[in-house]
Amino acid sequence: MKETGHTDTALEVRDLTRAFGVRKALDGVSFDLPRRAFLSVFGPNGAGKTTLIKVLTTLLNPTSGTARVLGLDVVDDAVEMRQRIGLISHNPLLYPDLTAEENLLFFAEMYGIDRPAGRVNELLEAVELDHRRLDLTRTFSRGMLQRLSIARALLHRPEVLFLDEPYSGLDPHAMDILDGLIAQVRNDHTFVMISHDLDKGLELCSHALILARGKVVLFEPREAIDEGAFRATYRSTVGMGVS
Amino acid sequence: MKSANTRAMVALVIGAVLTLAAFIGTFFWAAVPDYGTVSQPKYSFSARHPEAIDERLAHDYIGNRVGYEVEVVTDEGTVTGTLVAAEPKEGSGDGADAVMLATVATASGEQTIEVTKDDEVTAQIYNYGKPDWGQKIFYFHVPIAEISFIVFAVAAYFSVRFIMTRKREYDTKSRIAMELTMTFVALTMATGILWTKAAWGVWWQWEPRLTTYFIMTLLVVAYFVLRNSVEDEERRALYAAAFSILAFIDAPISFFITRLIPSTHPVIESGGLQPPMLITFIIAQIGMLFVGYAIYRLRMGEMELRDRIERAKTELEG
Amino acid sequence: MASASGRQFRAILRKDIVMELRTKEMLMSMGLYALLTMVVYFVALSQAGSEFDPRTIAAGLLWLAFIFTSLLGLNRSLVHEKDQGCLEALLLSPVDRPVIFFAKVVGNLTFLLIVEALTIPVFAFLFLQGHALESGAFSLVPLVMVAGSIGISGIGTLLATMSVNTSGKDFVLAMLFIPLVYPLLLGAVTATNAAIVGGPDAMMVFWQGMAWVAGYDVVMLLASYGLYEFIVGA
Repeated sequence: MKETGHTDTALEVRDLTRAFGVRKALDGVSFDLPRRAFLSVFGPNGAGKTTLIKVLTTLLNPTSGTARVLGLDVVDDAVEMRQRIGLISHNPLLYPDLTAEENLLFFAEMYGIDRPAGRVNELLEAVELDHRRLDLTRTFSRGMLQRLSIARALLHRPEVLFLDEPYSGLDPHAMDILDGLIAQVRNDHTFVMISHDLDKGLELCSHALILARGKVVLFEPREAIDEGAFRATYRSTVGMGVS
Repeated sequence: MKSANTRAMVALVIGAVLTLAAFIGTFFWAAVPDYGTVSQPKYSFSARHPEAIDERLAHDYIGNRVGYEVEVVTDEGTVTGTLVAAEPKEGSGDGADAVMLATVATASGEQTIEVTKDDEVTAQIYNYGKPDWGQKIFYFHVPIAEISFIVFAVAAYFSVRFIMTRKREYDTKSRIAMELTMTFVALTMATGILWTKAAWGVWWQWEPRLTTYFIMTLLVVAYFVLRNSVEDEERRALYAAAFSILAFIDAPISFFITRLIPSTHPVIESGGLQPPMLITFIIAQIGMLFVGYAIYRLRMGEMELRDRIERAKTELEG
Repeated sequence: MASASGRQFRAILRKDIVMELRTKEMLMSMGLYALLTMVVYFVALSQAGSEFDPRTIAAGLLWLAFIFTSLLGLNRSLVHEKDQGCLEALLLSPVDRPVIFFAKVVGNLTFLLIVEALTIPVFAFLFLQGHALESGAFSLVPLVMVAGSIGISGIGTLLATMSVNTSGKDFVLAMLFIPLVYPLLLGAVTATNAAIVGGPDAMMVFWQGMAWVAGYDVVMLLASYGLYEFIVGA
């Protein structure tokens, strides 16, 4: 029974556990996220945020429990699911020895996009890099790389976008551009973002989740969140004054 | 936990007793009618300098048996007597068939036999007249070598299980089996080198069995090098599992391909072992198996304890 | 699906070739390394005297050069995938893992063959001149070269995918690679030697060596193909 894509839930995570021996990176994580929501995932280092994203993007298999993205199981329907999700990481995930255009064309081929040249042009314009299209990405600044990386993630028109600390290492101008790009696609996409930046994460999100030691400490829609209490909870998971 | 350790200790004691019994047996029982068969296989081909290699081969087989009573079986018949000399034939090589002249003192006087290149020559050695001390190592060397292959197979089996299930226990089992392989491989190498010196007069020879075994040793070492150089625990387990499977596929290929080099390693012929030797050998083999199993159990017990400590630690952390 | 895989296969291969032609990283380092090996060979053989016929060990020397240059190249081939997490992006796309494996193998094979094809004439020029190749079977050497390189790049691609994630990449790759390719190496040297030196049984020996190499290629490519999915995702 595959109700592929017709559910209103974007993410359906049930008792998700990821363990190797006694160490549990994820320990019984469960939550539901509606479509077109923006989920911010907070938590200290080693809380399991990256593991969660890797499981939800099919890069890692869960040890037990299930996760469905757009109604598709992360294990059984992995190939189909990859067609409908995108990842923007703090790593640009681009080949430094290819030009901007070649990078996008390469990934367009990987996603089997029809008439890739047109789509690539469109995206290069959208991220304001069409004047640098023939330059090797090796020569790009951090901000430009991140913009190109967004273009790469949007190539195949994914419905769910995963953001793994996309703001880290960006200068304020690049952050503004990134904000603008996210705002453009905000309304017809579901977002899952990992962030260390509490202000930024809360500003963007419609739902917030705090992970600690692989467990869900808190999962609430933005409206229900009392900021003071939320900050206190977050700080308690980080512990000992580290923020 | 306790019963598992007890079982391991019992296995260790049984193994030790059997091995010791075999050890005594080799001197007081199996030694008496010391009898063995060394057979020279058909010459392997070599595109280069066939004559040189054949001379060496023939000398290794028969030349080392000067002073022993031998039975040389060739096309022309059987000659029994004491081997007086074994010399490479002058001018052999250029199309000449004979590569060696073996002089045997028979009841009717000395007789010189031409050992030819294309013949299968069997030299049966019996009634040594003096104990063949070098041969004693056979009761340890061969069982240990066989067990090293068995534990290697066990390691590969658990590696397959690990890749299928991703359960860490299989990784641990596979690793411990690999540690055992390492131990037995090292012992086989040590005993083998001693025997090579005693029987062939050299410590090492690039000969098929030895070469294959050397490669296997390197594969096992490589397994641990790989393990030690991967940080992430699960990745380490996966890589190690994949490599041990590849190594296990590679070992038999190495074994057979080395047939491209001519061999001098003795092979036990079916029915070639007299009962005293056979029984001693089997006892040694069973004893070694018990010892191997005991070490495996003890190491597993240790790993289980470590896991419990880890679990307790994580619980204490909250 | 098959055509989609074909498209992805071509895309990965084209990308690797474009990048290599741009940086010439693998080809340059492998080619120069092969040349340096020749110098070392000259030194190693310098005291052998004029009686010595280098043909008798030419096969071994050639494959020695091939094996060490390929180690160098294999190491490089995976490093750029790892550089900015590109491999992760590749794995995120809807591509079957074997497609990545075969594209990488074919890419590595191409570069290996180019360097080897350049090494053979240089080697013959430097060491085999004056020693008439009367056996006439020298033309069979490229056949062994291709068959051997298939196995080298097959198993090498898998091992390099592992070693790129280890501390001490180069050493780990050599440690895993050389014992594993021992059968291939022995078969290839036997066949190459038969082709160069000749002799009455040369053809029989040659094809026997080739059969070993081909058998090894099939077994190891299948094994690597089966294991790659688990390795690349780890």
